[in-house]
Amino acid sequence: MKCLELMDVSYRYEGSKDYVLKKISASFEAGKVYAIVGESGAGKSTLLSLLSGLDSCKEGTILYNGKNLQEIDRDEYRSKNVGVIFQNYNLLLNSTAVYNITLSMKISGDMASKEQAYALLKNVGIDRETTDRKILKLSGGEQQRVGIARALAHNPDVIIADEPTGNLDEKTEAEILEIFTHLAQEDGKCVIIVTHSDNVSSVGDVVYRIAGGKISTIG
Amino acid sequence: MYLFTNAIKNLGRNKGRNMLIAVITLAIIISTVVTLTINNAAARVVDDIRLDLGSRVSVRQDFIEMRQMGLDGRRDAQHIPLTDFVAFSESEFLRHTTFSADVLAWSDSLFAIDDPNLGEGTRVLDDGSVMNEETLRLVTISDPELLPDFGTLREIVDGRMFDGINEAVISEALAAHNDISVGDTIEIIGAYATDRMFSLTVVGIYSDATDEYLNPWITMFGLFPALNRRNEIIASFDTLLASSWETNAGLDIDFHYFLSNPDYLEAFEVEVRAMGLPFTYNVDINRAAFERVTGPLAGISSAAFTFMVVVLVLGAITLGLMSYMAVRERKYEVGVLRAMGLERGRVAIGIISEAVMIAAVCLVIGLGVGSAVAQPIANGMLSGRVAEAEAVENPGANRALFAGGQMQIGDGTAGYVPVSEIQLNLGVDIILQIIIITLGLAALTSIIGVVIITQYEPLIILRERT
Repeated sequence: MKCLELMDVSYRYEGSKDYVLKKISASFEAGKVYAIVGESGAGKSTLLSLLSGLDSCKEGTILYNGKNLQEIDRDEYRSKNVGVIFQNYNLLLNSTAVYNITLSMKISGDMASKEQAYALLKNVGIDRETTDRKILKLSGGEQQRVGIARALAHNPDVIIADEPTGNLDEKTEAEILEIFTHLAQEDGKCVIIVTHSDNVSSVGDVVYRIAGGKISTIG
Repeated sequence: MYLFTNAIKNLGRNKGRNMLIAVITLAIIISTVVTLTINNAAARVVDDIRLDLGSRVSVRQDFIEMRQMGLDGRRDAQHIPLTDFVAFSESEFLRHTTFSADVLAWSDSLFAIDDPNLGEGTRVLDDGSVMNEETLRLVTISDPELLPDFGTLREIVDGRMFDGINEAVISEALAAHNDISVGDTIEIIGAYATDRMFSLTVVGIYSDATDEYLNPWITMFGLFPALNRRNEIIASFDTLLASSWETNAGLDIDFHYFLSNPDYLEAFEVEVRAMGLPFTYNVDINRAAFERVTGPLAGISSAAFTFMVVVLVLGAITLGLMSYMAVRERKYEVGVLRAMGLERGRVAIGIISEAVMIAAVCLVIGLGVGSAVAQPIANGMLSGRVAEAEAVENPGANRALFAGGQMQIGDGTAGYVPVSEIQLNLGVDIILQIIIITLGLAALTSIIGVVIITQYEPLIILRERT
């Protein structure tokens, strides 16, 4: 079942004549892991911004469960339907790890419990002691894990990750990838990962490459 | 609910900035409480005085006008019937009227204090001129409640206060000097209208702790027995009217017409002029006295208001700048929240909640501290102004009474002292005004942030940081 679908999507930044994405079409289904690879500046992160509802395309259509993303409440889409793991984490720095998680639950309208948040953080390798520390006091790897836990906090249909394991060691990376695979295969989520890593892209059921503003399937 | 919880947590997370905003807000609120309390209290007192002294119209002869008209030596020609003065009191522009008139008098059967002889005497002045020397003073008034000093320095010790026509009260000293008891009848003759015999029944005797001689004319004429306050014989104004005293000739009148609205002065004057009051009479409020009494209050009220405006303007600018800087600091936080799907409106509610919480705490503290320091500050400000006002030389008595009439001298401020204290109260109206101002400050600090922040797309904010 198509969860997200790009139809002739083009995008260029304000003030620029050059298109970063040129009439690309692709689809993303629930229950699968998608890897998006490409050179730096190829437009991978731009594509993620469009898919996560943080930006809107200038031409073409993005459908979420058959509905045009332009026509639905994108705040609600971001808070309930999609979980985004940012390359630079984008956490609330003065808040604790657990607060970042519970706040995400509350924004989505879910009943937030600290126990759920602790469990999520434990799943991504954050121990109890660390959960109550402020983000600023955490290492890059720990912040990355909190970012992942936050993306999962409101149980979204689509998980979009921008270099989610960039700051993690191999062992943790393997654990996180296992979580993504589990989310897709067992929970029926659509997981979209932008990565430079062959190791990460290897878990993708489908691998898209972006180059020259075009998208192609390579695996 | 989580928005408010988040707002409370944010207050703690950004202690330094919020403390600074709180201190400025608190300073503004305390200053506003103090200045508004002073301003309102001063305005209230001035309004009260305006309704009394400020709406009290006197109808008096204008000697400057008379001199210009060549009537200086013919005061008699300008005297008007007492019944006309009474008729003026029927004006629809008035709340009420009080009449008081003094008559210089003498008696063939009553010894005045400080005068060894009965009857009317004469005195040769230093310049060789001769003047009548009245020995007694008949004080008449429309309402005994208005008599000055009764209840403080004077008190009925035998009998009662006069009630009807031809009843009088006299001092213990005058009673003892002439062996008069309650129920006795005394006879006095008006100095100007010697054919007017007042036959008065003494219904009360009062103790008198006032100074015997206060009138500044004593310095000019010496101890004039009629100016000795022990020689006052006090009766009702109706007693004077019943004596067929025709005009205000020979009277020291204090006819006060209280306007129902101070703005009615002109209309009242038009009305009494139409009733025949000549232009040699002034119809006016004692503005000099009003200004002397209320001047210090008006001064501190004006200073307080100016200070409040300055504090509010400077405070608002400072808070606005701080708010702008705070918003720039929090741009990333807002970007994250928006990326998490928090709507613009909810972000705004969070920011506004923080500002309102700071303002609410400052409001409570500010009201407490402001109301505590307002009274001492007001006292300090007022005492300085009063000292300045009192340093201005008092020009002297309002008027003097001659056998032929009364004369106005000075600027009419004699006997009037500036209000030297005000009681400040933090009333509901002031609290409401402070709340409105506080909400305004909260709105200022939050709206700038809300307007700036909500115009950004989350991706732009996050991209800028990246």
